[in-house]
Amino acid sequence: MTGYTSWRLRAYAALAAAGLVAGLTLGRVEPVALAAPFLLALIAGLATQEPDVSVRLSLDRDRVIEGEEVVATVAVSSERGVDRCELFVPVPPELSATRGPTEAVHLRAGEERTVELKIHCDRWGAFSVGQALFRARDTLGLRSWEGVTGEPRPLRVFPREETLRNLVPPLETQLFAGNQVSRARGEGIEFADLREWRPGDRLRRVNWRATAQRRSLWVNEQNPELNTDVVLFLDTYAEVRAEGRSTNDRAVHAAATLARIYLQRKDRVGLVGFGGFVSWLVPGSGTRQLYAIVETLLTSHVVHSFVLRGVDVLPPRTLPPKALVLAITPLLDTRTAAALLDLRARGYDLIVVEVSPLELVAPAPGSSLELAHRLWRLSRGALRWRYEQVGVPVVTWREDEPLAVPLEEVNAFRHLARPA
Amino acid sequence: MVAFVPGLAFGGLLLVVALVWGGPGLGAALFLGGASWVAAVAAAGASTDSTAPLVAVLLLLCGELSAWSFDERLEIRAERQVYWRRGAAVTVLAFAGLVVAALVVGLSAVGPNHGLGWTVLGAAAAIGAAGTGIWVAHR
Repeated sequence: MTGYTSWRLRAYAALAAAGLVAGLTLGRVEPVALAAPFLLALIAGLATQEPDVSVRLSLDRDRVIEGEEVVATVAVSSERGVDRCELFVPVPPELSATRGPTEAVHLRAGEERTVELKIHCDRWGAFSVGQALFRARDTLGLRSWEGVTGEPRPLRVFPREETLRNLVPPLETQLFAGNQVSRARGEGIEFADLREWRPGDRLRRVNWRATAQRRSLWVNEQNPELNTDVVLFLDTYAEVRAEGRSTNDRAVHAAATLARIYLQRKDRVGLVGFGGFVSWLVPGSGTRQLYAIVETLLTSHVVHSFVLRGVDVLPPRTLPPKALVLAITPLLDTRTAAALLDLRARGYDLIVVEVSPLELVAPAPGSSLELAHRLWRLSRGALRWRYEQVGVPVVTWREDEPLAVPLEEVNAFRHLARPA
Repeated sequence: MVAFVPGLAFGGLLLVVALVWGGPGLGAALFLGGASWVAAVAAAGASTDSTAPLVAVLLLLCGELSAWSFDERLEIRAERQVYWRRGAAVTVLAFAGLVVAALVVGLSAVGPNHGLGWTVLGAAAAIGAAGTGIWVAHR
């Protein structure tokens, strides 16, 4: 705890001294009378004892969804009492305190007071809230003591998710049971085809109507329901941020939404954060994997870097064969473009969802920046064309559209074009 | 009319200090206000001015209320009790200051045979106040 004295205490001491000296020098009583009240204030200020303040902060929840509110309860107490105790709970810029984070209370000796602060979680992320700054002052405000107290409490704000009805089905399935109808033949529910009976076929698979027509045994073939592997490839090399909106925020929202819905379908979902800081999660299934993905997404911040790196830095298990790679990228960095083209060349089923930054960087009409903006848009179009040349669907997700729109575009693309 | 000039000048000075320099400039304003009043009293004649306690308390209230006003600029939301306690403390300090200042003026009327004792006491108080000011400034 650091103690401070008000400028008044110094000024009053100087005034009192000057008055008394002037009284002696001039041989008059008026300067002494002027000095007397200031002397009293000086004594009152110096008689104040240093208080002992303890502050505890607790949150009603430590995990919330973006846009929700958390109630922080600050309990403050003092053994000797404080005339005016000012509390300030600093909150990260992504959060906002609705009532204002600074409060001043009076504490009697041994009394514990609680102050409730409503913290609005404006943006997703992993935060630390709990260290409170306090300032204890005497009644007249002549002396004050400041300090930092309290233990930081973790607060995780999960990204908001969208509602999706349809997803992009991967072209290839894996071996385990799931909800995706496979193109392969095997045990399942969906009818696929008819074929002649072979030794080993079960009797229940015989199609008696076809057998009666052809006078030989014919059996039904089915498509099995299997799971798939989906890898969400998040580009964190660069972002466009303006007025509190950013492409990375939308990419994280999309990744959280897709992860939840693919995992609900019993698929295995992995995550690759590809940027200045590379992070990955090996594909897995279940609720634990969902939490692992969301926790990883909370730290998916854009880290600027000049390091050239490709997909070789990723462990092989991160990108299993036949996996659907769903890249969510603003198409701003050529290193990501090269990595994604490399993945396509390795035979991965790749889809690029372009988080459009165009709405965030519109130049003023008539300004000289318009030409540069047009050139930039042309270069983005050229990059998109490169992807399409190798059979990769690139869909643009604009700011005012739901995520379902680009995903439907991918499905439409796949009906028309099948990658080799 | 001339008697109001120092008061008006002091009021104007306080206003300028409050608008331009804020808190730390207020000490100098109080000093100048007090000094000009003492100079005016000294120039007026040898008799003791009986309004000295009132002027002293008003000067103190100027400092306290201005400082309170400066504190409120920080927009810290405080409960009502905090304001009441500060208001009560300022009032008590003002009354106590008035009593002490009146006592000083009253004691000055004591006969000249006891003058040396009061002079020594006044000198000790002056040294003590100056020492306290230096000690506070170096903390």
